[in-house]
Amino acid sequence: MASISVRDVEKRFGNGPAVLRECNLDIADHEFLVLVGPSGSGKTTLLRIIAGLEAATSGEIYFGDRLVNDVDVGDRDIAMVFQNYGLYPHMTVRNNMAFGLRRRKLPKDAIDQKVREAATMLGIENLLDRRPRQLSGGQRQRVALGRAIVRDPAVFLLDEPLSNLDAHLRLQMRTEILRVHRAVTATTVYVTHDQVEAMTMGDRIAVMNNGLIQQVGTPEELYDRPVNRFVAGFIGTPAMGFLTCSVNRNGDRAELVRDGVCLRLTEEQSRKLTLPHGAAVVAGVRPENLRPVSADGADPELSVVKGAIEVVEPLGPEQHLVVDVGGEMVTARVDRDVAARRGEKVSLAVGAGRAHVFSIDSGEALL
Amino acid sequence: MTAVAAPVRLAGPGRLRRWRPGRAAVVALILVGIAVALAPVYWMLATSLKTPFAATSLTPSYFPHHLSMSNYNELLVKGVVPFKTYLANSVLTSVIASVVAVVISALAGYSFSRSRWRLRGPTSVAVLATQMLPLVVFVGPLYLLLLDAHLLNTYTGLVIGYTSFAIPFGSWLMKGFFDSVPVELEEAARVDGYGRLSILFRVVIPTVIPGLLTTGVFVFINSWNNLLYPLTLITNNSHQTLPPGLLDSFVGEFNTDWGGMMAAAVLTTIPLAVAFFAVQRYMVRGMTAGALAGT
Repeated sequence: MASISVRDVEKRFGNGPAVLRECNLDIADHEFLVLVGPSGSGKTTLLRIIAGLEAATSGEIYFGDRLVNDVDVGDRDIAMVFQNYGLYPHMTVRNNMAFGLRRRKLPKDAIDQKVREAATMLGIENLLDRRPRQLSGGQRQRVALGRAIVRDPAVFLLDEPLSNLDAHLRLQMRTEILRVHRAVTATTVYVTHDQVEAMTMGDRIAVMNNGLIQQVGTPEELYDRPVNRFVAGFIGTPAMGFLTCSVNRNGDRAELVRDGVCLRLTEEQSRKLTLPHGAAVVAGVRPENLRPVSADGADPELSVVKGAIEVVEPLGPEQHLVVDVGGEMVTARVDRDVAARRGEKVSLAVGAGRAHVFSIDSGEALL
Repeated sequence: MTAVAAPVRLAGPGRLRRWRPGRAAVVALILVGIAVALAPVYWMLATSLKTPFAATSLTPSYFPHHLSMSNYNELLVKGVVPFKTYLANSVLTSVIASVVAVVISALAGYSFSRSRWRLRGPTSVAVLATQMLPLVVFVGPLYLLLLDAHLLNTYTGLVIGYTSFAIPFGSWLMKGFFDSVPVELEEAARVDGYGRLSILFRVVIPTVIPGLLTTGVFVFINSWNNLLYPLTLITNNSHQTLPPGLLDSFVGEFNTDWGGMMAAAVLTTIPLAVAFFAVQRYMVRGMTAGALAGT
């Protein structure tokens, strides 16, 4: 097993712009780390550099204490699951899984046993003599996983392995992958653009954008303490709502105000926010921290956001209200019993200390 | 309780298509096209079964009134012309040319598809450009080269001629097949610990077998039908192939043995037809490989 260290990695293709910049990442032994970000953020490139399928323009990759920059991909003791599975179409499932083991010149009996064990773990024993084209998407995904785990690698790399599956199967395979990870305990790096996948699977998550690692942390850290507006908006469904406000200082307390909005900061938050009275900031509010209140009887001490309902999305146990607050949209996650109609005025209370504050220029978190 | 299946009526596209005048015209046009294409084949077959008198009659009949196997008998049993020698020479040179061309085209096609070397684009276009010139242009230089190498009147010389003309198109054909193989397959094999050559022969080549068959049959058909090269490069009758051999045997100064020639043509066509029908499914795919995303 191995820890992975990514040190100052940069990547350019030809003379083009850098697609990865100053990437630094430490992945502990046995950890399940998820690289998440939008398309083109550089997450797959970083994974391929860790795998050895791509060379870094500069920087270093360590597996444990071993510098692996010049180590061939076949000698890195890794296994990889590709986005479109990468199964050998002319081989049976059994041969697909055994192919890597044959290269290691393992005895035939040992290969058979390993293949059988992996197939049993994934419930594909009855598919061993089929070819990939005779399998469904979910079955192919299982075979791809089987081919990876059968080799008992030190590092397990998965490149958007669930992106070709339907929503139901994706959910099922998420559990399956976690079960496999617990069983094989290899250090795992998992690439996805789906933040729900990232939140539900990763011990830690590295959020990437424009070739930069924006933040690395546990799902809770990323959700509760995003370091910038990008991470705040990317993590969480529905996304955090953003409102441009100005700082209003009143003694020791500060509030963020604009037409129809008054977000009171706690004493601690007010102390941390060093901007002067009148400075412009971006306030961020998570959908679950907004709850409808009566416009008349609202507590004057309460933080309130007022606007008009633009969209009502009923989801069964709850509903999402997309509210237009002076041209900027925020989403509130409310109980299904709340009567809400499009065009209706609504007042939404924000829990104390629940507002996030970001710099209007850099997008960095200010609290 | 017994469930009774209600009668199902097919609706929309599942229903029988109605005959429309436009559709009938298209079918008629296709039938005419097929008739035009098959007419020479029929004429070849019919003439080969006619008696020598009927085959050269000034008022030819569309059907052989008396089926005669005499033309086949003279070719295969009596051995009036060295048909079997020509046939053996054609099989030998065409098969060897196909194998050699497939191996070279596969390696070149793989390089054009996967390698990233500087002059790859211009080189691949230059290779294809040779196909824009007619076969006859190459005969002179090829003759001189083989003369210098003492390879005139040899099977080797003929195979070189066939192969040299087949490789450019074969390389492009194979490039199309290699392009349709996902790079992830090779990357998966790299992760599994295999080297470049192992990956080529264990992973990539087995997935492009239809391409190899297509290229092989393409080269075989072209070599088999080639009249110009053996006519120019081979003067020894014992090394001669079918096309010039038949021309020489049946066309005289004052007389042409149409019946014998057509019987020989039928026998010559059979290996081609077998080869083509065996791989026609792959050939169509080969010609369109890479035309669609995901193919």
